[in-house]
Amino acid sequence: MSFEVAIAALVGLLTSPYIVMLMVIGVLVGIFMGIAPGVGGKLGLVLLIPFVYGMDPLAGAVFLLSMHAVVHTAGAVTSIVLGVPGEGATAATVLDGYAMTKKGLPGRALGASFGASLAGSISGAIFLGASLGILEPLILSFSPAEFFLLAILGITFIATLSGKSMIKGLIVGFFGLMVSFVGLDPSTGIPRFSGDLLFLWDGVDIITAILAFFAIPEMISLGVSRETFAAGVKERQNIPYSQVWQGLGDVVRHRWLVLRVSLLVAAIGVIPGLGGDAASWMAYGHTVQSSKNPETFGTGRVEGVIGAETGTCAKEGGSLLPTLFFGVPGSSGMAIMLGAFLMLGLQPGPAMLTEHLDVVWSLIWSLAVANIMCVAILLACAPWISSLAYVKTSLMVPIVLVFAILGCYIGQNAWENLVLIFFMGGLGYMFKRHDWPRAPFVIGVILGKIAEDSLLKALAIFGIEFFFRPLSLVLIAMIIGSIVFYFYRARNGKAIIAHG
Amino acid sequence: MLKRLFAVALAVSFACTAQALAAPAPADANYFKGKTLTYIVATGAGGGYDTYGRLIARYMQKYLPGSRMLVRNVPGAGHIIGANTIYTARPDGLTFGMFNTGLIYNQLMGLPGIKFDLTKFSWLGKASDEIRVMVVSTKSGYKSIDDVLKVKGPVKFAAAGVGSAAYLDTRILDFILPIDIQTVTGFDGAEGELSMMRGEVVAATGIASSFDQFVKNKNGYYALVMSQIAHDTLPGVPQASQYVTDERGKRLLALLEALSDLGRLTAGPPGIPPDVLKVLRDAHEKAIKDPALIADAMKLNMPVKFGSGEFVTDRIKQALTQTPETVALLKQAAAAQ
Repeated sequence: MSFEVAIAALVGLLTSPYIVMLMVIGVLVGIFMGIAPGVGGKLGLVLLIPFVYGMDPLAGAVFLLSMHAVVHTAGAVTSIVLGVPGEGATAATVLDGYAMTKKGLPGRALGASFGASLAGSISGAIFLGASLGILEPLILSFSPAEFFLLAILGITFIATLSGKSMIKGLIVGFFGLMVSFVGLDPSTGIPRFSGDLLFLWDGVDIITAILAFFAIPEMISLGVSRETFAAGVKERQNIPYSQVWQGLGDVVRHRWLVLRVSLLVAAIGVIPGLGGDAASWMAYGHTVQSSKNPETFGTGRVEGVIGAETGTCAKEGGSLLPTLFFGVPGSSGMAIMLGAFLMLGLQPGPAMLTEHLDVVWSLIWSLAVANIMCVAILLACAPWISSLAYVKTSLMVPIVLVFAILGCYIGQNAWENLVLIFFMGGLGYMFKRHDWPRAPFVIGVILGKIAEDSLLKALAIFGIEFFFRPLSLVLIAMIIGSIVFYFYRARNGKAIIAHG
Repeated sequence: MLKRLFAVALAVSFACTAQALAAPAPADANYFKGKTLTYIVATGAGGGYDTYGRLIARYMQKYLPGSRMLVRNVPGAGHIIGANTIYTARPDGLTFGMFNTGLIYNQLMGLPGIKFDLTKFSWLGKASDEIRVMVVSTKSGYKSIDDVLKVKGPVKFAAAGVGSAAYLDTRILDFILPIDIQTVTGFDGAEGELSMMRGEVVAATGIASSFDQFVKNKNGYYALVMSQIAHDTLPGVPQASQYVTDERGKRLLALLEALSDLGRLTAGPPGIPPDVLKVLRDAHEKAIKDPALIADAMKLNMPVKFGSGEFVTDRIKQALTQTPETVALLKQAAAAQ
């Protein structure tokens, strides 16, 4: 790692008015994409790629990365204030963030979220820079066997997040797994649950599935109850800055949680094959499991917001690594970013480390600088953003629904997704009505495909012996530990109540 | 007065009708003036097909004065949704686009989902070759194709999803060469290369240009080119025809080679009027041969090689004219594992 190259890249970034302007525009676009429910980072990239076509490679890459880096930070706004996630990763923030809004603490939740996002993204960027030297052995030591076991570890969090009834949580989680298997069978090419419906051959769109399970039921129940989002507080309140500062203070108070989650998630992000959404949920799951009072998660614990948001943002740094150095995306967002890099003429590969280290450092810095800009803007507007929680539902619900439905359509240009969102939205509403947890569904949908795909590859490459690889044994021990820990807690009366 | 007005109106309407019914003037480059054309790319934004598509669309617009070209991504089902969309579009010359040549396999084998007949598309032309190669990893320890052919047991190859063109190329190779290829599927993009670097698999098949960086970084080498003739761009790489001895294998190799001649194809729906199609083909040719496009493509490491619409139409027909025995062989190769 060359400090001179790193510092020179930062100076170059900040002293180029063109690049700074692009970063500011990227950040503003990213804030909009994050706040608009259903749009999110992946869709943002898809919409912006045509605009960067033909741009200078570094400028184009910095612009896209600045946008993508802040989408999760801004996405927490709708998760916290409206209970509507922008994408899979930010769904974890809904669980405690929205609960805080209902208690009349949207400002504190937002402050904690923005602080955690900033800490997470900077930690992720530092991790990225620090691991440049050991990158190749780090990435090459993880094979499909380990991806499978990491996915299983993530799936064990279904139990953790099942709420009062583990049976209900498992049913919902396995329903999510079932939905993830829709599409062409990876080993035979035969359509599963999709028949002649071509739009399902690549599987159910994850954004559609998550919006259908969170956004639609929330909007229906708000429309039916006619309450404001902050249902616990009847009168309109001007959220003072002190609430926002309190949230920032919470991040400082829980700095060790922030550090642990950042390292965990950045490391997971580096390993291509697990994906960024999974990393965020594992961050939340770890936060709940490692807490002294896990039973209170889901009712408005600020640590829930901090853990989820730190994880969501730290993974960006990690997942950029395999994308740049191996051309293998570390997350689904990076898969689109990779296409953009190729389009801009940036050739991912080991040569990036030897011949284009300045470009690599510019991209790392842009992640951190973009988040600093974003958090500054959002903190300044935090009280007004919080007051969205008090807007009449008759005004907000149609707007949110339009964005959510638009987000489902634009991603694949498939009108069939609109049918899917209504069908699954109705199902999600029934789950909410009858107090069934919905978080396990998200985990099932995100991890099911990864688990199956990795298992098939691992069996083909290593045979059943893959379970006995050294790293696999470590992960199996972690999985067993996670399950035993859950039952130990449950037996001692500290049932984990995480509503979602 | 009223009678006069009526007579004038009648005369004007007759004149308009006569104008409408008269044979239209043949289309020329100005035919598209003021019109919006849609270039459909059968993948999501970013990546090889999207980049080629945007490059071609931008330069075609230059040679269709007054026109506006929009690129629309219609991804899904391995390019089938995009190809179906192009096939069923109105044949007025305003919609055309790009999809994977590998759909030839889909049509030959009668796989489900396709609504098109590739022989009926209005082909504008091709922008590249897609020479199929076998790449072997340096980590495997095998120094050449001869070493690989000497292996007694199964040899693991990384491949894309079952049913994809790259997967079928691998299955065909297993069928025609005297080795036992165990295909490990599900590797997208460069994931197969990563797996080769880890030593999990020995080799992979694919388009030569996609392995460029991998070979330059000495992580692997071109072990075999899947053709019957040598290629200038791959000097010293043995041809598959040297190792394929039986008639069945030669027929499948000929099919592979036919596919290699067709890369980054642009097509419109069937039934585009011949004069309109000629204008589009001319614009496509000028675009591909434009020095500025070639320079842009070189910066992006994208090889460019022009082939006319007539050439593509002919080749597609040839590729799809296979004897029932060859189709049966193809199905057998695709199924075997």
